[in-house]
Amino acid sequence: MTEDALSVFRTEVADWLDRHCPASQRQPIVREEQIWGGRRRVFPSDDARKWFEACRDKGYTAPDWPVAYGGAGLDAEQEKILKQEMARLGCRPPLYCQGLWMLGPALLVYGSEDQKREHLGAICRGEIRWAQGYSEPSAGSDLANLKTKAEDCGDHFLVNGTKIWTTKADEADWIFCLVRTRDAAPKQAGISFLLIDMASEGVSTSPIELISGDSEFCQTFFDNVRVPKRNLVGAINEGWAVAKELLNHERKMMAAFEGMLEKPAMALLELAHYAVGVSEDGRLADPELRSDIVSHLMRETAIAQMGERIYRQGKAGQMDARLPLLMKYLGTSQAQVKDELILAALGGEGLSMDDESVASEGVRKMVKQWAFNKSLTIAGGTSEVQLNIIAKRALGMASGERRS
Amino acid sequence: MILNQEQIMLRETVGQFFEDQSPVSRLRELQQRPVEESYDRALWSQMAGLGLTGITVPEAFEGLQFGWMGLGAVSQEAGRRLVASPLLSSVALAQNVLLNCASKRQIESYLPRLLSGEITASVALDEGRFFDPGSVLVTEQNGQISGSKARVLDASMSSLIFCVARREAGDLGVAVVATDDACVRITPARFMDLHGCAAITFEGVPADRTEWLEGVDVASGLEQAIDQATIILAAEMMGSARETLERTVSYLNEREQFDVKLASFQALQHRCARLYCELELAESAVAAALMALDDAASSVSAQASAAKTLANDVFSLVTSEAVQLHGGMGVTEEMDIGLFLKRSRVCNQLLGSSSYHRDRYARRFGF
Repeated sequence: MTEDALSVFRTEVADWLDRHCPASQRQPIVREEQIWGGRRRVFPSDDARKWFEACRDKGYTAPDWPVAYGGAGLDAEQEKILKQEMARLGCRPPLYCQGLWMLGPALLVYGSEDQKREHLGAICRGEIRWAQGYSEPSAGSDLANLKTKAEDCGDHFLVNGTKIWTTKADEADWIFCLVRTRDAAPKQAGISFLLIDMASEGVSTSPIELISGDSEFCQTFFDNVRVPKRNLVGAINEGWAVAKELLNHERKMMAAFEGMLEKPAMALLELAHYAVGVSEDGRLADPELRSDIVSHLMRETAIAQMGERIYRQGKAGQMDARLPLLMKYLGTSQAQVKDELILAALGGEGLSMDDESVASEGVRKMVKQWAFNKSLTIAGGTSEVQLNIIAKRALGMASGERRS
Repeated sequence: MILNQEQIMLRETVGQFFEDQSPVSRLRELQQRPVEESYDRALWSQMAGLGLTGITVPEAFEGLQFGWMGLGAVSQEAGRRLVASPLLSSVALAQNVLLNCASKRQIESYLPRLLSGEITASVALDEGRFFDPGSVLVTEQNGQISGSKARVLDASMSSLIFCVARREAGDLGVAVVATDDACVRITPARFMDLHGCAAITFEGVPADRTEWLEGVDVASGLEQAIDQATIILAAEMMGSARETLERTVSYLNEREQFDVKLASFQALQHRCARLYCELELAESAVAAALMALDDAASSVSAQASAAKTLANDVFSLVTSEAVQLHGGMGVTEEMDIGLFLKRSRVCNQLLGSSSYHRDRYARRFGF
């Protein structure tokens, strides 16, 4: 697109957003008001419903997906403009969904035409909420070790086994799973990618209580679950390729997680000023905290600049394929640094997640966030796995000591 | 860095030129030369012949106007080979002090000779132990300049010194003084990285032999020039840090112990992978700062401080780790790794340590 056409597009988008996004939906998102969609979806307010429906009808829940599948068919530049304009006006993300971030992009590459038609639209319209079934109790970083078995029974698969860390599985309608369809060496060669309706008989979930007091994650059990053959994505025993495509999207999403999360009641600097105070020369009263905050701000900015650099490289046809490999590791570690600084600044006020006599609700949320965000460097491929990948793929370091 | 076609060609040409004419071994040869010689004059003439003096200079002043990204790319290539040249002292620092702080007449009188490579200039800025442009003790008294400056880069090779000094009225000024003036005493030194600088004492240089730069706002022009040179230095440091990491990874891919390549050990892979993350993080900040210079963005000062801090820290980290990862070879003079290590420590102090820039950044954001 020419610069002129993009600038016209920007004006149209800004105008559309301004007309359709109610003032209440331009407030920073709070967790309770995120819209996750699904068969049991509820809207926290009429405004939230209006905003969601406007975006849904315009294709803006999945702006870069083809129009035929419920998206808006925007190219990378247009999508960026949409995001910029939404950020400028403070519009809330219209829909949160694993289907949107992970399954959809993988289906666009590996799904059959029937699968795309059946599932993509339902995702964009917020009708079906998806969960991810990858990890198992004995298959974490060594994901290929998974044991959940799908037995070929002619017109259907019979699935038995269990999945763990299935995010919000107790509220999800469908789950995309990696299952073992044969014993093979290497282990990756016996894995298939299956879509399972969680309303099927034999599926059950049980929430896992976390150190943050949340229970975002569940364990999901499959006991003789019948899954129609048409729900197989890609070829049988070739699910690993689909899984890797999807993991890339998950890591991208996690690196950019910050913007999707509820904003803390106060920005870090503001919080530090409030909690620690300022000395006579105008500097933050705690010099070590001051120095640590500066380091963090510089690095946080540099991570955003790296994202921008990757985008510009892509646009200029000068893509360095190594850079996207770094984003998950850097982004998630830095988010944890920030949480540690928040706790350091809070001092004694940051010592409880639930006791109202210790701290206000806003502060307690920050403390919970600190505990919850310890999962960022574990979920979606641990930092250690990321470093393995970086050493091998970005630096070309010899393998040999480790079994792959 | 995203470069345009001209800048890509420039980087390739200059990279090849440095590879052929100024590999790291050329830097070592300086050790055999008198201490006054902080770089090879013949090499510098060739660099000037390639137009490297005029990359960011506007066409109105006969420059190439290839942009800061272009000069950044050239500096990175120089950093990869630890090239000793007045690219930082004269081109990035002195020329920009002139362009930002001088009147048009003064620019026209000095710039052509700087651009042709006929002369170089150096900025006398540092005084005490640390870089601190806010406290300048060299002063003008009864029209004469007196006081001492430290770490004036390539001073003994320069024809002109741009001396930052307190004017009699109390404001900051920049005086152009000839290095052969009888009242200018230059004591050259070679730092451990084999690059050269000097201590300078001004012993009452009389008014008729000094020329004060007469631009509209000398103080902010000076700050701007320092930001520009800081970002260019950060780019050079990134080139050196990248070269260090690449050399280290190749070494680990070659050397075998316990019958396997060292690179196959996960403990070493993770260290290198972390270094690479830090490297690209800092590179992103430096590239963004160069872009901010090209866009004349208002955020340049903050970006300069962030870029220099990240470059300082990553260059120190990568070189320390490189020595360790080279094992016994890392501490031998036979390997170049030690030179990169020493260069990193010198660069860390030039134009501001991380501690200085973190404080400056914090003040800019009001805390």
